[in-house]
Amino acid sequence: MYPRQIPESRPASRLLYVTGVWAVLLLWLMPVFAIILTAFRTFEDVMAGNYWGWPTEINFRGNLTAVFTQTDMLDYFVNSLIITIPSTVLVLVLSTMTGYVLSRHRFAGATLIFSVFIAGNFLPQQVFMIPVRDLMVSLGLYDTFGALIIFHVAFQTGFATLFMRNFIAALPHELFQAARAEGASPWQILIQIVVPLVRPALAALAILLFTFIWNDYFWAIVLTQTDAVKPVTAGLANLRGEWVSSWNVVSAATLFVAIPPVVMFFLMQRHFVAGLTMGAVKG
Amino acid sequence: MSDVKLTSVQKHYAGFHALKDIELSIEPGEFVVMVGPSGGGKSTLLKSIAGLEEISSGIIEIAGRDVTREEPGDRGIAMVFQSYALYPHMTVTENMGFGLKIMKRPKAEIDEAVRHASEILRITDYLDKKPAQLSGGQRQRVAIGPAITRRPHVFLFDEPLSNLDAALRTQMRVELATLHKSLGATMIYVTHDQVEAMTMADRIVVLRAGRIEQVGAPLELYRNPVNHFVASFLGAPRMNFVEGRVTALGAAATLEVPGLPPLTIPALRPDHGLTVGDAVTLGIRPEHLRANPGGTVVIAEATIRLAEQLGRETVLYADAGALRTTGSDTGTDNVTLLLGEGAPPAEGSTIRFGFDPADAYLFRSDGHTVSAPKSST
Repeated sequence: MYPRQIPESRPASRLLYVTGVWAVLLLWLMPVFAIILTAFRTFEDVMAGNYWGWPTEINFRGNLTAVFTQTDMLDYFVNSLIITIPSTVLVLVLSTMTGYVLSRHRFAGATLIFSVFIAGNFLPQQVFMIPVRDLMVSLGLYDTFGALIIFHVAFQTGFATLFMRNFIAALPHELFQAARAEGASPWQILIQIVVPLVRPALAALAILLFTFIWNDYFWAIVLTQTDAVKPVTAGLANLRGEWVSSWNVVSAATLFVAIPPVVMFFLMQRHFVAGLTMGAVKG
Repeated sequence: MSDVKLTSVQKHYAGFHALKDIELSIEPGEFVVMVGPSGGGKSTLLKSIAGLEEISSGIIEIAGRDVTREEPGDRGIAMVFQSYALYPHMTVTENMGFGLKIMKRPKAEIDEAVRHASEILRITDYLDKKPAQLSGGQRQRVAIGPAITRRPHVFLFDEPLSNLDAALRTQMRVELATLHKSLGATMIYVTHDQVEAMTMADRIVVLRAGRIEQVGAPLELYRNPVNHFVASFLGAPRMNFVEGRVTALGAAATLEVPGLPPLTIPALRPDHGLTVGDAVTLGIRPEHLRANPGGTVVIAEATIRLAEQLGRETVLYADAGALRTTGSDTGTDNVTLLLGEGAPPAEGSTIRFGFDPADAYLFRSDGHTVSAPKSST
């Protein structure tokens, strides 16, 4: 089962195929395109109903300046970083450890623990909205960065454990035996053998986690109240006015907010190295 | 004092009795090869000695110390794996020094050990390369490096050559034997290749179904296998086995074998335990079957089905009518002959062949060898 190329001898099918690809692509990019266009418009342009046409006047700089001068987006942005970076790092560390233990060590209850990690992923988050909020309130963490960090770490570790366990399980068994025979402790094996070899997996996971946590809106509004701790997603919603919204400014802010995950992708990209375990075993 | 001593070692896992009452004592500097069919327990035994597998009961001593419950790293062993097990993210140098680095040895000592080992293994040219940049033979050589740098009491090899092609395997076999001589270390080597076992071992341990069948010098095992299994396992082409019956017993045993004239095995073990009428198996090595023999030998005739000409020698598979072999390499009941140099008879032609009963082996129905041991010549 693999996509077979449509032969040259069937131009009609090829045309249909290429047209289809472009149609899907356009549909997919439409909202992004609209936001980019709007970020370049003036307020008057938006008010005049020019949503899809070329901006009558390029006002990107003005909109961006408005984001930084008239709104608290910069504070929200910093808040988001304060929430997202520690959460991502903690999840990576925890899931590497849980994945290592669950894939390489046999102990009573291992399957049960792993099942719990997986099962957590299948629960709809909305179900524990109220319990989690109540928990954070009674812990005195409600409306703090801690609440969001703890929740994201707890919730993402399940998925990340599944991800890391499978990667570590795929490493050649003999490497672990060899390291053990050379006297390496489980910690040394983890740090010196496992981590360097799962670097591509960690990079991929880092991107996913960063994006998930950065883009979270639901828990941001459930667990925070004051602007001092609001992340960008909740902050963006604040930009909407009660009667009128400066959609041009909101769009510019949106573009600004979308930058970190993209930067993250390019930062991590160089770690996507194929065949890192090549040469470990066999010929 | 022996270097490695196993006392009633047992291993069960998941209802499977993997090692059955293993008793083995290995002298310092000895090269011991463990052979046996797959699933025979040889790798399990090696990993048990290494400490990578836990044993259910028994005692493992290395250099006079009880290490049964110790971690592999504390046992004074170094293991070389079938699949090389090189750390792919480290250079050759880092691979070789990893064990010492773990032991927190000073850098100068590590460098010196790596240099020394790489000279022995002749891998000084690719110390800065990563495993992926090396060929199979180079990797195999590098894989031995970490073991040498650690200066263990005992080297453990788990089928280290089975991933190499035939030419490289011969080369590495010679190199390993040379390495053993130059290091003088105790080595335990697991293989399923009987050529490796015969050529490299000071002593061979034959394992089957988790039990030691026989331990001894290669030629001793070849000449005097204690049972049917060892006789069939060592020697290529395999020994011919034919079923027969005891018709008379004294100091010698007279047999009736379909397809052969009555024949007498001249000497038996004192504890042979045979009685007249017992079913027995007669074993004759292919090289003991001679074409066109003279003198007082047992003679039969056969039609040649296939001649494998190997240059120096020729292996003949011949249909000897009523004389049917069992459990042959080929899966047929043909007789296997190994002839020396000279023009081999044509396929389809008839050959007269015979053997001296003194060369033959007699096995009881339970597999034990009952013919007297052959004197070493």
